[in-house]
Amino acid sequence: MSNNFAAVGILLIFAIALPVIMMLMPKILAPNKPHKEKLTTYECGNETIGRTWIGFKSNYFLYALVFTAFDVETVFLYPWALTFRKLGTFAFVEMFIFIVILLVGFWYAWKEGALEWM
Amino acid sequence: MQTFNFLAITPEIAVAALTLILLAMGLLIPDGARKGMMPLTVFGLLGILGYTVYDFFFGKMGPAFQGMYFHDAFADFFKMLFLVAALLVVLSSGEYVQKFPAYRGDFYALLVAAILGMMLMAGAADLLTFYVGLELMTITFYILVGYMPHDGRSSEAGIKYLVLGAASSAILLYGISFIYGLTGSTQLYQVAMGLGSKVNPPVILATVFVLAGFGFKISLVPFHMWAPDIYEGAPTPVTAFLAVASKAAAFAALIRVYLVTLENQSFAQTGIALLLILASLTMIIGNLVAIPQKNIKRLLAFSSVAQAGYLMVGVIAESVPGVKGVLFYAMIYVFANMGAFAVATYIGQAQGSDEIRDYAGLARRSPLAAAVMTASVLSLAGIPPLAGFVGKFYLFSAVMDTGYQAIAYIGFVMSMVSVYYYLSIVKVMYLGEGEGLPDIPVRGAAKFAMVFAMLITLFVGIYPSPLAQMAMAAANSLLQ
Repeated sequence: MSNNFAAVGILLIFAIALPVIMMLMPKILAPNKPHKEKLTTYECGNETIGRTWIGFKSNYFLYALVFTAFDVETVFLYPWALTFRKLGTFAFVEMFIFIVILLVGFWYAWKEGALEWM
Repeated sequence: MQTFNFLAITPEIAVAALTLILLAMGLLIPDGARKGMMPLTVFGLLGILGYTVYDFFFGKMGPAFQGMYFHDAFADFFKMLFLVAALLVVLSSGEYVQKFPAYRGDFYALLVAAILGMMLMAGAADLLTFYVGLELMTITFYILVGYMPHDGRSSEAGIKYLVLGAASSAILLYGISFIYGLTGSTQLYQVAMGLGSKVNPPVILATVFVLAGFGFKISLVPFHMWAPDIYEGAPTPVTAFLAVASKAAAFAALIRVYLVTLENQSFAQTGIALLLILASLTMIIGNLVAIPQKNIKRLLAFSSVAQAGYLMVGVIAESVPGVKGVLFYAMIYVFANMGAFAVATYIGQAQGSDEIRDYAGLARRSPLAAAVMTASVLSLAGIPPLAGFVGKFYLFSAVMDTGYQAIAYIGFVMSMVSVYYYLSIVKVMYLGEGEGLPDIPVRGAAKFAMVFAMLITLFVGIYPSPLAQMAMAAANSLLQ
């Protein structure tokens, strides 16, 4: 078992060494003449205007959360609907409980104003 | 069709139903009439506690749900512990919750949902069941820790707990994925069979990762950094519940995973050095850093780090007496810590400050609170005749029987060190002047919770055998 890990070790050493060599080579071989334009960030988007520490509306996340809950519910409902006849009353009760739990959560989200846009 | 033994998870179903009822009640009841939520929660929890106690003594035990879940005395013991801790939290925090700046109806529902997560952790026989329980508990705690939206420190604590908790969950899951990769199963007994008794690098890696995940939850050094900040920032009742119940839940799962899965693993021999070092570090650092603390919540946070170290000593013993010691100590730790936190909640709410110097003259201003705080911290320090002494005696004698003398001596010495800072609170309360600070009469449910916690701490210290026998039965059910 341990012998197989020798290969992993060699791969690890190689994986670390390669980028180090690649970064060292230009340092040694290439001519080094920095000036202002060269030192600016290259292709990382536009320079920002104004403060960038602004708040985002958290309403987006609330919508996303409620959406996810019902998305997952659908995932469970489809297979349940397909095999409903075979599973019988037990599955029906189970799914009923599941939906009731979800609905209480949905009611809570509604009442607490998660669905209202500011 | 498969049959499901729903009787095995009756307490869990009851807790889940109580969560939904409380959530719905919070929405239905108008703002002014929400005082009734507290008694409703208390009676609900009392009913479930009654059933769990009955189940502990007379219930039909055995694995349930195709080996996904254990229904044994060990799990029931921890369920009782969570319910008792929750009851004490709810009773002692009634007024505190009433005075939340934005009272929403969901505080008690969230608290009860956290209990559900803990119960799942205590009963889990499958790493995934355990993980779901853990996440249910932790996510609820993220919300509860940051419950006061306009309090900067509470929000900061919530965010910190979220970020660090997510990181620790990731490490834990990584460890679980290793275990699954090695054995092809997540069920504890099958994992135990799959791992056998051979040790190789991935096994060690997996166990260390899983230990790191647990270590975060029980604030084992070096994973304890989150504890003081979050304990200080969170609302005090939440801190109390976090310090007591979530730690106990993680210990329940830790004991199960370590003693069931790794029982015939030679990791038990090679990795014991790691556990010994971590437990000693936890006791040493927790106690030494607690000494200079000026804030009662920070002091109790570091003291709870140290207490996790003592409990870890019992896990290291890897024997029935060791597990019994952990169970016994965890239960009395609930009463001692809840007593201290009940006082901290009440005094903090009345004075608007958690600094220890504001406890000056509490013996004169509020004799009952001072007496309860004294009994609680002396029990935490392990002074006879209080319960903490008996608990530490069980823990350290178990580990010495297994043959690890050194760690027991470290435990003794650090317990003596801890007496210093625990007594410094008592000194401030009894010898401080407290000029200009208000008189604080203790009333209502908080009074009951404090007196009850103190009486149990005294009673178990003088007459420990009933609780010890229960702990023994629970430990036996795990390791037979």
